[in-house]
Amino acid sequence: MEWRHKNLITLEGWTREELGFFLDQTEYMEELLNRPIKKVPALRGKIVMNCFFENSTRTRASFEIAGKVLSADVINWSSSGSSASKGETLRDTVWTLEAMAADAVVVRHGEVGVPDYLAKKLTKASVFNAGDGTNGHPTQALLDLYTARQKLGNLEGAKMAIIGDVLHSRVARSDIQAFRKMGVHVTLSGPATLMPENTASLGVGYVSDAREAAEGADILYFLRMQRERQEDGLIPSIDEYHRRWGATDSLVSLASPRAVVMHPGPMNRGMEIASSVADGPRSVILDQVRSGVAVRMALLYLCLGGVR
Amino acid sequence: MILLKNATIFDGENLGTAYEDLLLKDGVVARRGTDLSAEGAEVFDLGGKLVCPGFIDLHVHFRDPGYEWRENTESGARAAAGGGYTTVVTMPNTEPAVDNPVTVEYLVARGKKAGASRVLPAGCVSKGRQGKQLAELALMAESGAVFFTDDGAPVSDAKLLKTALLYSRDLDVRIMEHPEEPSLSAKSQVNEGAVSAASGMKGCPASAEVIDIQRGIILSRETDSPIHFTHVSTELGIDAIRQAKKEGLPVTCDVTPHHLSLDETYVLVSRFSSAYKVNPPLRARKDVKALWDAVADGTVDAIVTDHAPYHLDDKDVPFQEALSGIASLECSVAVVLDTWAKTGKPVPLERLLELFTSGPAALLSRPWRSLGSLKEGAPGDVTVLDLEAIQRVDVNQWKSKARVCPWDGEMLQGWPVMALVEGRVVMNRLKDPE
Repeated sequence: MEWRHKNLITLEGWTREELGFFLDQTEYMEELLNRPIKKVPALRGKIVMNCFFENSTRTRASFEIAGKVLSADVINWSSSGSSASKGETLRDTVWTLEAMAADAVVVRHGEVGVPDYLAKKLTKASVFNAGDGTNGHPTQALLDLYTARQKLGNLEGAKMAIIGDVLHSRVARSDIQAFRKMGVHVTLSGPATLMPENTASLGVGYVSDAREAAEGADILYFLRMQRERQEDGLIPSIDEYHRRWGATDSLVSLASPRAVVMHPGPMNRGMEIASSVADGPRSVILDQVRSGVAVRMALLYLCLGGVR
Repeated sequence: MILLKNATIFDGENLGTAYEDLLLKDGVVARRGTDLSAEGAEVFDLGGKLVCPGFIDLHVHFRDPGYEWRENTESGARAAAGGGYTTVVTMPNTEPAVDNPVTVEYLVARGKKAGASRVLPAGCVSKGRQGKQLAELALMAESGAVFFTDDGAPVSDAKLLKTALLYSRDLDVRIMEHPEEPSLSAKSQVNEGAVSAASGMKGCPASAEVIDIQRGIILSRETDSPIHFTHVSTELGIDAIRQAKKEGLPVTCDVTPHHLSLDETYVLVSRFSSAYKVNPPLRARKDVKALWDAVADGTVDAIVTDHAPYHLDDKDVPFQEALSGIASLECSVAVVLDTWAKTGKPVPLERLLELFTSGPAALLSRPWRSLGSLKEGAPGDVTVLDLEAIQRVDVNQWKSKARVCPWDGEMLQGWPVMALVEGRVVMNRLKDPE
């Protein structure tokens, strides 16, 4: 397949065939990670700028590892140590990155649309969205897809329940997009105050009762819950939330026999997920982390001119 | 003396059926007729183009005083002329706010000095636009304020709004309310609906608009005082106003070119271009349709730009950081005419033209109400339209200081080609006089 994408801002424009091809490429990359010497010269001479304007551990590390395994030079441009904290406009930052001859810019930002803004301004470099506000986190969706496909095989017709704070979750938005493209039926569950007003426009169903969503599901996806939601008055208490929508053994037992439990991390044990589930036999949470490196390798490789 | 020949004349109510001439003399309309001639007059042969009373925009932000790097009275007045408007009403959300007669007089003087379109200031309802104490409404009215509004924000305190309605009732100056219930709209970036669901950005629900409109209607009824709602954007909001009008209440409203031509999906399709960030936000398609229905059935009294110019540093930034507002003075007439033509002309041309002329003129204080007609003796304010003209929007040619606009680069059909204020040409894209 001729790879036509230079950037990854959103998965909206990716076809199902492209997603499938991408996941196949990711398998090759994972094989590479199993070798004793994890280094190939595929991207030698390429400069990848990791621009994280918001805290991140795993996404940032996994992009860095992915670049380094492929022999790219990875530079970490963090907001606290850079001019962003001195009040530089993003426009100036972009031009600076361009002047430094970056081949790729990986960006995480607390605001929606920042990767789009960068992609419009940058004339040469690829832009990869590592999370923009509440909007999207497409590489998370790719690694979730990859993990689910590894465990379940063909995903066509599979049932997925996404449970938690969908309203504020970029992971949920990207996963809905990606899993629907692969033919998965997605149902959301969580307090109505943490749901978008218009879930139908996202092409998914919604049920208030988590048990109804979990019933017969092949993928149970639990979202991170933030304490500030209680402070914002959107839920009465964390305890009430955990009892009604948390990942507990009784909730998981309602799922299909082959079901997997996923979580984007970092987890709040006892809040949105009980330890017995997080560490239990259904959990593929650490597989997700491992897939993250392989997915980002495939992304850098394909978009920075691996196969042309 | 100026003689406009061979024009189709819209006089604020009716559209002429044959070519006529219009003579402007001593700053006023002197004669309307056929085969007019006047010795020494500059003659413009309009070849059938449309002559209308000068267009009036009841809602612009000229950022003067305080934010002159975004716009000032001079650049704004020239932009208005360029866009075919001969009269504009400036909003008082400046720094300091226009809450006293001295600032009103300053703006009137600045407007005259600019020598372009007529600038009529609106004053604040409350001192410092703080929403607490009534501003000096009567003194501002004497100094030339033509509306009272805390625009940019609503008058949230119901008691203050009621007091302002009562106090202004006999001043012949209307209260213009920016309808928004802040507790529902706080921190919103887009419409609550498809775009907020898809992006996770906080949405502004229609309820935020209609709750404030209903409150204003109730207080207008109770005080028997007129109230005007500006930039109404939702089906619910416009329905409430339609009901109030049916009841015979002195309730009026305006809508903007952007809410008539764009819906929320532009935010997504443009991949979060800040050009589409505005308050109230671009709404759903059904709301756009409802606004056109309200234009058709007479619920809407005026079309206003809510021209909100910003510096590039405020606007050429990612969506969530960008300030809200669309600058459109220099293309808004074309936007409306183009949308109207492309949607199959949902209302008669006369109705559309009323919303730029006699409609808004009727809402101004008494000395300015004749601006909406071309009767003999009326002010010589004229806007000439060429409904066939096709032209590209180019922000770099603007007199306004704004450089971000949703329609930049678009080809639009139907443009103002000439504007006169008190018989003086302030904009001319025709050829030289013969």
